[in-house]
Amino acid sequence: MSAAALVKATRTMTVAGAVVLGLAVSAGQLTAASLTAGGTDTAQVQAARAGQPVTTGTVLYADSSPAVFARAASARDAFGFPAGVKRTGRHVHDGFQRSEYDEVSEVDAAGRSVSTIQLDGDGRVLAAIRFDPDSSEFPKTTSDGAAESAERGLTASGVRPGGQPTTETNSSSGGWDVHWRRTEGGYAVRGDEVRVHVRHDGRIGSVARIEHRLAAAPARRLNQSEARQAVTRQMNAWFSGRGSGYDVQGMDLQWVDANAAFDPSKLGAAPQPYRLAWVANVKPSGPAAESVRLITLYVDAGDGTVIGGDVVE
Amino acid sequence: MKRAKTLLVSVLLAASVLGATAQGALAYRADVWSNSNSFSSRCLGFTDTYPQQLYSLARSQMIALGYSPVGGAVGSSFTRSAFISGVLPDWGVYVHTHGDNYWASSGYPNIDSAVLQDPGTSRCSVFSTDAIRSSTIKSATAGAPYNLVIMSTCRLGSSSSTMPGAFQIEKVKNSTQREFYLGYVNLTYDSAQLRFEQAFWSYLNATDTFLGIRRSVYEAFTYATGIGGYAAPDSGNPFQANWWGNPNYNGTPG
Repeated sequence: MSAAALVKATRTMTVAGAVVLGLAVSAGQLTAASLTAGGTDTAQVQAARAGQPVTTGTVLYADSSPAVFARAASARDAFGFPAGVKRTGRHVHDGFQRSEYDEVSEVDAAGRSVSTIQLDGDGRVLAAIRFDPDSSEFPKTTSDGAAESAERGLTASGVRPGGQPTTETNSSSGGWDVHWRRTEGGYAVRGDEVRVHVRHDGRIGSVARIEHRLAAAPARRLNQSEARQAVTRQMNAWFSGRGSGYDVQGMDLQWVDANAAFDPSKLGAAPQPYRLAWVANVKPSGPAAESVRLITLYVDAGDGTVIGGDVVE
Repeated sequence: MKRAKTLLVSVLLAASVLGATAQGALAYRADVWSNSNSFSSRCLGFTDTYPQQLYSLARSQMIALGYSPVGGAVGSSFTRSAFISGVLPDWGVYVHTHGDNYWASSGYPNIDSAVLQDPGTSRCSVFSTDAIRSSTIKSATAGAPYNLVIMSTCRLGSSSSTMPGAFQIEKVKNSTQREFYLGYVNLTYDSAQLRFEQAFWSYLNATDTFLGIRRSVYEAFTYATGIGGYAAPDSGNPFQANWWGNPNYNGTPG
């Protein structure tokens, strides 16, 4: 037995021994039969999941949902995704993303999903992802070629993003990420986009379309100077007496998701339409900079209140 | 080695004497750590709500994946000494905190990645005091294998990160061991980490219900990456998660 393997075995058996001893001590309260393979107590899983979002689904069949399966097949072909030996479908309530969609997966002979297409209630593509590994070791296309490949796939599938794309090299999986970032009324919608990942070989790896509802724009909008004052007031209040400084690095108007980033009382609140806000990037200095690199504030463009934000730790 | 062998024999003997079988009761420990005091009202003037959310999510999902017991902590108990003393028995490790690739005076490539422990309730973070360096972790892990390691921090998924090596995970994407390391390449918003990790975990742990077989961690990673919609601090820091390990490994312990 190698040293590493012995350590591994010892680690497991040490804990297993503790479990066995614990069972002996607390006999009558817990039996080994209540532990599933891998040692997880079902009750423990349920307790840990309490309060956490869950994703649930109901099975869809090609016979009863032919339009969903046909649309998924059409998208699969438009993106050049592989077909499986069979297809499975389900209607999903995604508690994490707070959305509902139909999902059709191509499944190979081993029962593994080789690609998945997610469709909204109108049959429009929300996401399309292939799971087979990218086998190409060297690039067979260019950044421009990737953008062209992405556009071809989107056109064939009926997804029509507006504006000009930006293309980024993906240092993790290789290939390129082509983004069409959504704007409305001339302002960016934060996080909303059509994103296509193009693999090294020019084939599409994934497609995502993210689009949120927007609230009405406020009739009167704060100008940048007024918004900056709101940011300064908030930062001064937060950093007062803490020895930290800050620099407001940039501000622009965006549609944002009012969130609970700075206000625990808003956690779990029902999703609301995105609101127009001044988005300010604030770089801390002094003690706060030891742990936080950037604080982003969303200042409501109408009333100047801080409605959320983000943090780079 | 002698100590490990002795311990192994002792434990087996104890189980035998008790007349109990370890079958079905093998335990695969994991630790989930999250630094919250660095991001508290006391240090920043506001309470950053993401550390608690990410901790609760990771803890519940590690348990759902089969790790047990799941230890670790959010807040003051996330200390360097607690992390280091507890890491060897772990099969899974999750950390959410401030992380980066720091300069090291020796050893190629002169980088020693680190994460910050929770500073506790009486002070705020100071790098020189709070850093848990990958070199220290590597000493503590003593060459032992790890299944699932997630660094929910900035930059520890970049190519220069030395953190995977602290857990004996080589930076390749074709490992045949039961191992998977996940991290983020650039500066990353907390909201993006939460969105990514929610998608990652929900895809990984939905397997049993919908397909009857466990999906691979790589598939969960690909799914979470593929759904897009991640805000980024600036164009120089696009949202990019990264992984190394075995593309066919399903994330379960052991």
